[in-house]
Amino acid sequence: MRIVVLVKAVPIVGNERLGDDRRVDRANGLEANGNDEYTMEAALKLTEAHGGEVTLLTMGPAAAAEALRKGLAMGAARAVHVSDPALAGSDARTTATVLAAAIRRLEYDLVFAGADTSDGLGGVVAPWLAALLGLPYLSYGSRIEPGPDGTTIQVRRLGARGYDLLEAPMPALVMGTQVLGEPRYPSLRGIMQARTKEIATWSLADLGIPAETVGAGVAGSRVTSTALPPPRAGATVVREAPDVAVARVIDFLAARRLI
Amino acid sequence: MPGAIWAIAELDDEGQPTRLAQELATLARGLAAEAGADATGVVLGAGAATVQAAGTAFATYLPTILTLDVPGTADHAAAAAAAPALAALVRERRPAVVLVGASPDGKDLAGALAGLLDRAVLVNGAAVRWADSAPAVEMSTFGGRLVTQSVPTVEEALILVRPGSVTAEPAAAPGTVTAVMPAATETLPLVRVVERVQAEAAAASIDDARIIVAGGRGVGGPDGFGVIRDLAEALGGAVGATRAVVDAGWIAYSQQIGQTGKIVKPALYLAVGISGAIQHKVGMQTSGTIVAINRDPDAPIVEFADLVVIGDLFEIVPRLTAALRARQA
Amino acid sequence: MTVRLTPDQVALRDAVRELADAKIAPRAADIDTSGEFPWDVVKLLADHDVLALPFPVVDGGLGGDLLTVCLAIEQISRVCATSGLIVAIQELGSLPLMLAGTPEQHRRWFPDMAAGRALPAFALTEAAAGSDVAEIRTKATRDGDAWRLDGAKRFITQGSVANLVAVFVRTDESPEARRSRRHLSCFIVERDTPGFSAGKVEHKMGIRGSPTAELHFDGARVPDANRIGEVGEGFSIAMRTLDRSRPGIAAQAVGIAQGATEVAAKYAAERRQFGRPIGDHQMITAMLADMATRTEAARQLLYTACDEVTAGSPTASRWSAMCKLMAGDTAMAVTTDAVQVLGGYGYVTDYPVERMMRDAKITQLYEGTQQIQRLVVGRDVLARGG
Repeated sequence: MRIVVLVKAVPIVGNERLGDDRRVDRANGLEANGNDEYTMEAALKLTEAHGGEVTLLTMGPAAAAEALRKGLAMGAARAVHVSDPALAGSDARTTATVLAAAIRRLEYDLVFAGADTSDGLGGVVAPWLAALLGLPYLSYGSRIEPGPDGTTIQVRRLGARGYDLLEAPMPALVMGTQVLGEPRYPSLRGIMQARTKEIATWSLADLGIPAETVGAGVAGSRVTSTALPPPRAGATVVREAPDVAVARVIDFLAARRLI
Repeated sequence: MPGAIWAIAELDDEGQPTRLAQELATLARGLAAEAGADATGVVLGAGAATVQAAGTAFATYLPTILTLDVPGTADHAAAAAAAPALAALVRERRPAVVLVGASPDGKDLAGALAGLLDRAVLVNGAAVRWADSAPAVEMSTFGGRLVTQSVPTVEEALILVRPGSVTAEPAAAPGTVTAVMPAATETLPLVRVVERVQAEAAAASIDDARIIVAGGRGVGGPDGFGVIRDLAEALGGAVGATRAVVDAGWIAYSQQIGQTGKIVKPALYLAVGISGAIQHKVGMQTSGTIVAINRDPDAPIVEFADLVVIGDLFEIVPRLTAALRARQA
Repeated sequence: MTVRLTPDQVALRDAVRELADAKIAPRAADIDTSGEFPWDVVKLLADHDVLALPFPVVDGGLGGDLLTVCLAIEQISRVCATSGLIVAIQELGSLPLMLAGTPEQHRRWFPDMAAGRALPAFALTEAAAGSDVAEIRTKATRDGDAWRLDGAKRFITQGSVANLVAVFVRTDESPEARRSRRHLSCFIVERDTPGFSAGKVEHKMGIRGSPTAELHFDGARVPDANRIGEVGEGFSIAMRTLDRSRPGIAAQAVGIAQGATEVAAKYAAERRQFGRPIGDHQMITAMLADMATRTEAARQLLYTACDEVTAGSPTASRWSAMCKLMAGDTAMAVTTDAVQVLGGYGYVTDYPVERMMRDAKITQLYEGTQQIQRLVVGRDVLARGG
């Protein structure tokens, strides 16, 4: 099974800042999107069980390579880093277009993406990508397994009340969630071996994409203003014995008409 | 006159528009009024009778409803089955704004639609208003540390809207329902649903709960969640959890709040035995009122809660539940 | 020059720290009290490939450079100096082979060491030859295609548990050979060699879980195939080994200092006297500042020395002596201060700092006393005019 795992480098939670263009600064202090490690782990488990290799793919500035390192240390065979100054400020549309171009240059049976986290691109890039590539799209996976005859992939899609078992022929694009299972810690051997693994860097020119068709200049939206949310007043701290504390909580909630 | 404001309806298991869909419809009406445009709802489903019934329910909220019967959505992953028909309809009718709910199904649909239409999508919308002939989308960025306003740079936009942007309100009079059948010129690969499996008892959804009682590691184990559930019940709220607790298997992932779980914005968030680490904080810090119960006075949550009770949660929570019940009696 | 750790060095350092905190720290007090060699820690380090770090990839090792190995030693020594030493000795005991062994010898012994199945030891010191290495008396006499070893070694770390020992012996009695430092040779002596035995194991002030043993050679017969390097190359091999192994001890010392600083800092933030955390009282604040600054200075010197040694700098010996000198003195000073910060509590065994202070002392003594390090550095300063 040849699996391409999309890794998105996102600002480290808590350290995010806006750049001068009032867009999220994605140039510094990056780590892998929280859910990408779960899909990486799922991909590694599948290739360990059924043969094959995992290739990581990320798009972003130089600092995005950080996000690849851990995956290589976990056991991915190689990585591709799409990087070009013209990509700065790319929206979901550009991201999907560029990733599609990169994926078309790879050989794969499956493409994995992690569910977007809270500040991600809204969960639209993965289905967008599938539409551009003409791949079956199986989303919100909590379990991923090959189908009985080995030519299809089966994914449990998480729902509010249970799951739907989806099946599609490969090649396919699967979006996975945290429920796939805890990622392994990279071993020392993995960390050391990662040093010699290939990270290919591709520019827009390598993908045949003109610079003027991507980036902030053609983004579908622009930020018109930023504001701080109204500050919270600061906590009232209650340290009294339980019965007294409970009475104070009830008074507090009643005063705010919450009960 | 500008193009119409559309709201795409997501249907629940009973084939009725979800609360999020109702909010979207209400939002669409408001925007249409500000823009001097028409508001239209779009209902997608499998079977003429199903979409008609759903359309009628949705018509409570909008003057015009278009229904699309897409049989493929019955036994296949819905987004890929429905998107081509919806894309054809959009091309035909050229709405100015298409509002899609930011639910898992909505995101899948928006992404597929955007791929087919090659259209920009504004994501994570917490509120939308009309300004200078365009929709202005408010997004809560960095887990609520910042609020940004964005506008589309193109004429026609897709906007993903989170729960709670407006309070759902029926329109003054019910609208009309029309079945439409646009000629879809493309298809997306269909993904078969082999089976649908229900969990035994689904917990109350936290997505749009007004009150959430959430438990963290301090709760100690799956049994500890009993006191959390009791309190949630006494308050008429839903039960939430941190990632550590979900990973430990004490509660289902659907109840997880935080960076890799759900973002919620209830009127009241009770954080019990939760330290308030950043990955959890981003999931709930825009809640109306935050009450924390914790034995550690230096826990990060103290920085952003409104009321903090320092003590043993197993002493405090059951007493709180009892006091609430006594009050209701 | 400045040293910046590469991302994988940072990843490795953090991974070892996590392992040390989770699995080794809880064992540290008991290792010290019992004085028993922690075989469970050996297994842990083997299972996590920490012992594989210094060895070539072709032999199942991880091909780590000196700095990488030192990062691991430092992180482990933070919580347990004895455990950190196990990694340091895995490097020290195999260095003669690394520097002067044949490929066939590497294939023979490296795989087991990389897998953590074999522990080495480095046997240079004798009762009458400590700093004065040239005075070594254990002798090797040619006997057909083998050598016969007679004599005794003293203070050999891991001597009683090692599977293979790099032993330095006198192979040439002539004054010319002695003058030109070509009078010693180096052999690998395997554990079960008849005529080779471990004797008394010392009771020590610190690193009490690490067995420090006498080794006896009574007509032990060692094949010529176990000779490392040329006959007469022993002194050179020993000196080149120490150039590369001293940073490992410096790393142990920096780790000890760091661990002590962390314990003292945590204590000073929590312990209240005169209505405030004692960390707020300026004399304590100042001590903590000095502890942290000196530890960082020792660390930076260590990292730079590692780079210089790896790069084959002509002043490698000076760098390696400097870093060990600085780190050892720092560890002793910092741990002493740590006990001071904890006051009475620092003196009792309920807190780890008294153990850290006892552990720190050895870093001023072995692999060349601080006085020897000063000779090495001082002579180089004079030779170069600075």
